[in-house]
Amino acid sequence: MTETYLNDTVINAKGTPCSRSVSYPIEASAIRKWAIAVYWPEPAPEVFMYAEYAPEDFDPFAWGPASYESLLPGDDSGVVYRHGINERALGFPEWKFRAGLNGGMNCTYGVRMHVGDVITDVKSVGEYTERQGRNGLMLITQSISTWTNQRNELVKRTINTGICY
Amino acid sequence: MTVKVGDEIPTFTRETGFANWNRYAAVNDEFVPIHMDDAAGEAAGNGGAFGMGNLQWAYLHNMLRSWIGENGEILSIEVQFRSPNVKGQTVTAKGVVTAVDGDVISLDVWTEQQEGTKLAPGSAKVKMGK
Repeated sequence: MTETYLNDTVINAKGTPCSRSVSYPIEASAIRKWAIAVYWPEPAPEVFMYAEYAPEDFDPFAWGPASYESLLPGDDSGVVYRHGINERALGFPEWKFRAGLNGGMNCTYGVRMHVGDVITDVKSVGEYTERQGRNGLMLITQSISTWTNQRNELVKRTINTGICY
Repeated sequence: MTVKVGDEIPTFTRETGFANWNRYAAVNDEFVPIHMDDAAGEAAGNGGAFGMGNLQWAYLHNMLRSWIGENGEILSIEVQFRSPNVKGQTVTAKGVVTAVDGDVISLDVWTEQQEGTKLAPGSAKVKMGK
């Protein structure tokens, strides 16, 4: 039975920048299709069909970034992490879990995303904690994603929480 | 419009299943077996395929956006994904005002299925459009 997931490497990694992705310029058609999907089967609001700006939940990285770089020393894996972070390159233990769940999201918004904007996403390590549950000891992970636009204005900061056991 | 603590805001409701999830997968590149294949969903302990948490997230945004108007602002939102959205459920996004501080309105928000079980509870702060 696992007694703890948390060693000094995991605990001390909090705040470490892990990767930087840059999006392709946001296209009106991508916003339109996104809105159709999240409002389906009812029509999406006109403001998104003839879009100048995107819904807050729109993800310009959905189909991959224009560029991606790891910020972790020695990480030459070339693996693009869209949601998570490269725990192996951080030196975290190679945990074996039976299940991994999307625990939740916490998002603070800044300026809107507009057509033509290029978004930069810097991911960093959040807080890792653990808790006993009915499935045994659970690891609660956080990755933090900070989006800025080409004017370096904050678009949003999201804390993604994962639950593994 | 005067907003006060306890106000329930207009809801956003969708019947959910592959027709919604596949469209969302297509725009969000979320072709994950647990969302597309009943066997994979069952193996994950949910009795069949289940919907994306991110789509619940989108429904909550749709509800808030409709209420605050085009010039309104969603300042922040947080949710926990507590229960899976399985096929055939009618999912409703709901919100209740918990505080009004100047022009910043705080709400409890959540999605629930047709029997009232909460799927994704959380909270949000918004500003109404002028």
